[in-house]
Formats: sequence, C-alpha cells, structure tokens
Amino acid sequence: MRKLWLVAKYEYLRHVLRKRFLVSILSMPIFFAFIIGVGFLSAILQMDRTPIGYVDHSGLLANPQRPPEAEDSLDYVEMTAFPDEPAAEAALAEGSIRAYYILDSDYLSTGAVEVVANEAKGTEGQGDFRDFVLYNLLQNQDAEVRERLVNGPVLEIRSMDGEKGMGENNILGFLVPMVAAIMLMISINTSGGYLLQALVEEKENRTLEILVTSVSPTQLMAGKIIGNLSVGLTQIGAWLSVAIIGLLVLVRFLPVGQDIQLDPGYLGLLLLLMLPAFVMISALMAMVGATATESREAQQIAGLFTLPLVVPIWFISAILANPNSPLAVGMSLFPLTAPLTLSLRAGYTTVPAWQIITSVTLLILCAIGALWLAGRGFRIGLLRYGKRLTWREILGRQNGRV
Amino acid sequence: MSTVEVNHISKTFATTRAVEDVSFTVEPGEIFGLLGPNGAGKTTSIRIILDIFKPDSGSVVVLGGPMTEEKKNRIGYLPEERGLYQDINLERCLIYLATLKGLEPAEAQKRIDVYLQRFDLADHRKKKVKELSKGMQQKAQLIVTLIHQPELVIIDEPFAALDPVNTQMVKDLLREERDRGKTIVMCTHQMNQVEELCDRLVLINKGKTMLYGSLGEIRRQYATQAVSVHSPQTLPKAIPGVQHVKRENSGYHLLLTEGTTAQQVLRELVERGIPLDSFEIAMPTLDEIFIQVVRGEGARG
Repeated sequence: MRKLWLVAKYEYLRHVLRKRFLVSILSMPIFFAFIIGVGFLSAILQMDRTPIGYVDHSGLLANPQRPPEAEDSLDYVEMTAFPDEPAAEAALAEGSIRAYYILDSDYLSTGAVEVVANEAKGTEGQGDFRDFVLYNLLQNQDAEVRERLVNGPVLEIRSMDGEKGMGENNILGFLVPMVAAIMLMISINTSGGYLLQALVEEKENRTLEILVTSVSPTQLMAGKIIGNLSVGLTQIGAWLSVAIIGLLVLVRFLPVGQDIQLDPGYLGLLLLLMLPAFVMISALMAMVGATATESREAQQIAGLFTLPLVVPIWFISAILANPNSPLAVGMSLFPLTAPLTLSLRAGYTTVPAWQIITSVTLLILCAIGALWLAGRGFRIGLLRYGKRLTWREILGRQNGRV
Repeated sequence: MSTVEVNHISKTFATTRAVEDVSFTVEPGEIFGLLGPNGAGKTTSIRIILDIFKPDSGSVVVLGGPMTEEKKNRIGYLPEERGLYQDINLERCLIYLATLKGLEPAEAQKRIDVYLQRFDLADHRKKKVKELSKGMQQKAQLIVTLIHQPELVIIDEPFAALDPVNTQMVKDLLREERDRGKTIVMCTHQMNQVEELCDRLVLINKGKTMLYGSLGEIRRQYATQAVSVHSPQTLPKAIPGVQHVKRENSGYHLLLTEGTTAQQVLRELVERGIPLDSFEIAMPTLDEIFIQVVRGEGARG
C-alpha cells in the first residue's frame, strides 16, 4: 500500500508543481472575470445618459417628480420639459437631447404620444419615459402602491413540493449548476488528459518497465488515478475559492447577489456525481493510454468518451425547459451524461430520490467496471509497443495470461 | 538453490513465436549471459522472468519461488533504452524510483549522493533527465538498478550507449557486485563483453536455445583441430600432421589432420629448431561461435 501512495504523491506533485498547472488554475477565473468585465463594459458603453425632452400639452406633467433614489442609479436619464415643439426641435438639433416626446392634450383618454428622434431607432429611451410618465400619473397614490405599480411583482418560482425555490433575481440559482457542471467537465477532462498523456509517455520511454517491476500494476494504476483525481480536485478547489471570493465581492458592491443561497445538499450531490465520474473517466483514459500506441491516437480515442460528457450542453434548453422529461431523465441515468445533466436538473427542480440513487449507483458500478477494464487493458497492453490491443483481447477469457 | 530457473517457457504474440521451449538456470553469485541476435527473444525471456508477461507454457522460479510483489524489491532491472522520466530533474527521478524499490527517502538520498559522485553525475543532479547525454542517462539508469542493493540484477544491453571509459567503469562495477555475492543476468549481443564478464551463458536464436553452458565448455565444444603459432621465422610449408597453414595477422593458423595432437606439432616444430614466440590451441572467439550458430550451422558434436 505504501507504494500506492508514493505513486499517487508523485503523480500529484508532478502536475501541481508545474507552471502549466498554475496557468490552468488561473486561466479559468481570469477568463470568467474577462467575460463578465467585457459584459459590464459593453453595457456601460451602450448606456446613453443624454437627456430626453418632452412637450406636455396634457398638463399631467406640470409638476414633474422623480423617484428620490433614481438619481444615484447608473442609468439615470434627465427629463427636460419644453414649452413647445420648436424649442424642443432646436434642442434636438443641437444635440442637447436625444429625443422628445409630445403628450397630446387628451393623452389620458387616447394615450397618444408622438416621439421625435433623429438618431437610429432604439435610442429614444422609451422605457425611461414610460416610467417617468407612470410615476407622475401616480403622484397622488400611496408610496407603496406607487412602488408596486411601477416595479411590478417580485416573482419567486417554487416547485410543487415547495422544496426548490428560485427567486427571479437570484442569478446564482441559474449560474451555479451551469458553472459547476462546466468546471466538473473541464477538470475531469484535464486531469484525465494528464493521466492519459503520462501513461503514453511512460510507455514510449519504457519507464513503465521500471515501474511494473517495482509496483504491482493494480497499485500503480490506483496510485495514478488517485494522484490525478487529486489534481482535478485541487483545480476545482482553487476555482471554487476564487468563485466564493468573487461572490463575496459581488455581494458587497452590487445589489444582484444579495439573496445568495448555496444549498449544502446540492454541493453534496455534486460531489457524489463527480467522484465516481472522475474515477470512471480516469480509468477509461488509463485504459486507452495503456492500449494505444502513440499519444495522438490516444487523444483521438479519448475524445470518443469525453464527447458524451458535454452532450447535455447541446440539450441544455430542452433540459431546463422541461427538467423531468424522458430525455432529461434518460440522460441523468446514462453514466456518461449523468454528471452534467443531473447537476443541471438538480439546480432547477427537485429530482426524485430514486433517480439520484440509481444514477449515482450506476456511476459507481461503471467506475468499478472501468477500473477492471483498465486493469486488464493495462496488464495486457502495457508493453506491447507498436501493437494495438483489440477489445476481444481485453474482454477475452485468458485467465490473466498476457 | 538456483537464483533463477527457467523451465521450458514458450510465448507467442499473435502469430509470432517469440520464445519456444527455452530453459536455463542462473546460479547465485555468477554473471550469466543471455545472448542472441536482435529479435531472438532475449527481452521477452527477461520480461517473463520478471513477470511482466506470463508464459503460454513452462514456468519460472525466481529467488526460490514464483515472482511476488515482495521480491520486486530484491531485484534490480535495467531495461534496454532509456526508462527514466524525461521531464523532471535527475535527483528527483532517482529518489522516486528508489523509494518505489522500498528505500526510505533519506536513505535513498544518501545512497544516490554516493553513486552520483562515483558516476561523475553530481554536477548534473538538478538537470532534467532529457538534458543529459545518452551515456549519462545510461549511468543514471544503472543507479536505479543497483541502488536498493538487489540480490538479482537483470540488465539489458548495459553498454549500449557507453564510451570505453564508462564501459570499463560499469564492468568493474558489475564484477564488484558479483564479488559481493550478487547474481547478474546480462542480456547482450556484444560478445567481447560476454567473454570478459560472463561465467556461463545461454544463446538463443529465433526463440530457441542454441547453446547453453560455461564459456570454457562452449569454446572447447566449438574448437577446431587447430593451433595458432607466432614465430619470427617463416614456417615451412609442410609440417607432418598439419593439413593447412594459413597466415593470420602476425602469426599462423595451423589446421591439424585428424588424430594429430597439438603436442605432436609442438614437438615437431621444436625438433626442427624453429624459434617460437607463442604456441596456443586456437579457440574460436565467442563472436565466431555466435555467427556460426546464428547462420544455422548449429552445435557440433
């Protein structure tokens, strides 16, 4: 057993101490920060704070008011009153306003409004003006009533048993399953890829001969899988810490993240799905590494079973629109698609316990099966340089003769 | 008790018969040569001994029984070609592989220091393995093979990448190990090395045993009826009992007639007053025997 840990430790440190690993850990948060940053930047750039003009023939806006907190908002737009159309026209021509609205004298009965703008469509600030008019029409209402009428209801969506709830404004409820699933896939793929590459290299430069004459093939493989699994977990751990720090910052400075709720049960489920998936993929990678003759070929074969892992992404809208459809349930049970599908669904709906239990059990069984296959493939294909191994040989009953 | 007993092993890969009914034993404290041309089945035999492959038939006894995990710590193996991690520094690579052979890291470090000094690699300990020359890598591999003081050392082509100075050093090292009671199986096709080092040998070709025994026995078995003579004088064309006289390097190769002994020829030459610098039974070199066997002339008599 001691040798198993030696192998695991070596495999772990060999990746973690490399610059490449540090880069891969940093690149993900930097990538996300970049995407979010660019999103914010483009939103700010698109924001137009040029005042909007209006000519009020109805007299409804004779004494205009704005919500007191509105001036602090990033997208506050000033509303300028003009006595008549020519004055507004002149202001529009010199660019001090971007558009002007003309409220008819019988606005209240007809709702007729004319808007004059000289720029491209969509820059007239209709929403802003609508809110402005609405707010002022409700001037005499109770403040709370006015607030409700202007801002509308705050929706909270609940599943039927009342366990799973999601606030309309809870961005995290939407993001966490998605991001978790993507992180899982990336780290399974990278650490599985490390394992595959390491094995093919060891085979190519004959280090495997030294290794198998020092350690039993089972210990060697188990050690390698544990080592690489830990690399993947470290990677996820690092990303999670960055994500949590990021969220704390977000909560502090922006109102959006205030009703964050990370369900420990959900995190537990992620772990239950992830560990066997990790072992399964690592073992399959190890098998390919042991049977393929060169790294390029190995990578091509590895693609065949890493592809199904990300298939649920293609069906994401179907799964989210109807998280309990046969497609979603089927993909939650099939071991290769289960980790992503189930973690996505569990974020949006209450997945029945039998599905979780079946799915996790199947994953664990498959992980054990994959380890067994890898063990055989490893033993048989280990030193057959340049000779490809056939499925018949791996599955064939040769009583372990190699 | 023999250190290694190979009993009638056979192994087929797909349609290639790699080893066919090969048997030999390796005795404790000897250097045993496992010889054969490229592709003869030497490496397959070694891998079967080490339990990397299972034989289709036949059996192997190593250190008194079947191969076990525990025995792996008592065996040192140097595979042909590289066999080291290329991307990490030499010292780390050596320590890792040494600890896999059961050494504690501190002890491994201590022994590695001694070996690196002796092998003139101390200045390169922090270099990546792939930055080392082939010869240096070969020496580093020898360290991995010997560091845990194995009872049985199996080395595949140990001199392949070494210059004469290092070749000599490795030979001395192997003799040293033998003198300490270690058993060494050396796999090679460099016959001169075998002549210098090995006590006994087996020669396999196309998976089959062609020769097996002690070096002296085998050479005597292949000795022709001939003597080799060095003389400052030209030898007469006709000497009684000599079939044929052939100039050979600085001397003569005399092929004797059936029934003539070397003593008779020596007496004849002395009686004729021919001065002699040297007179010896012409033994075939292992190289000659090897070529003769491999070309299919087979064992004699």
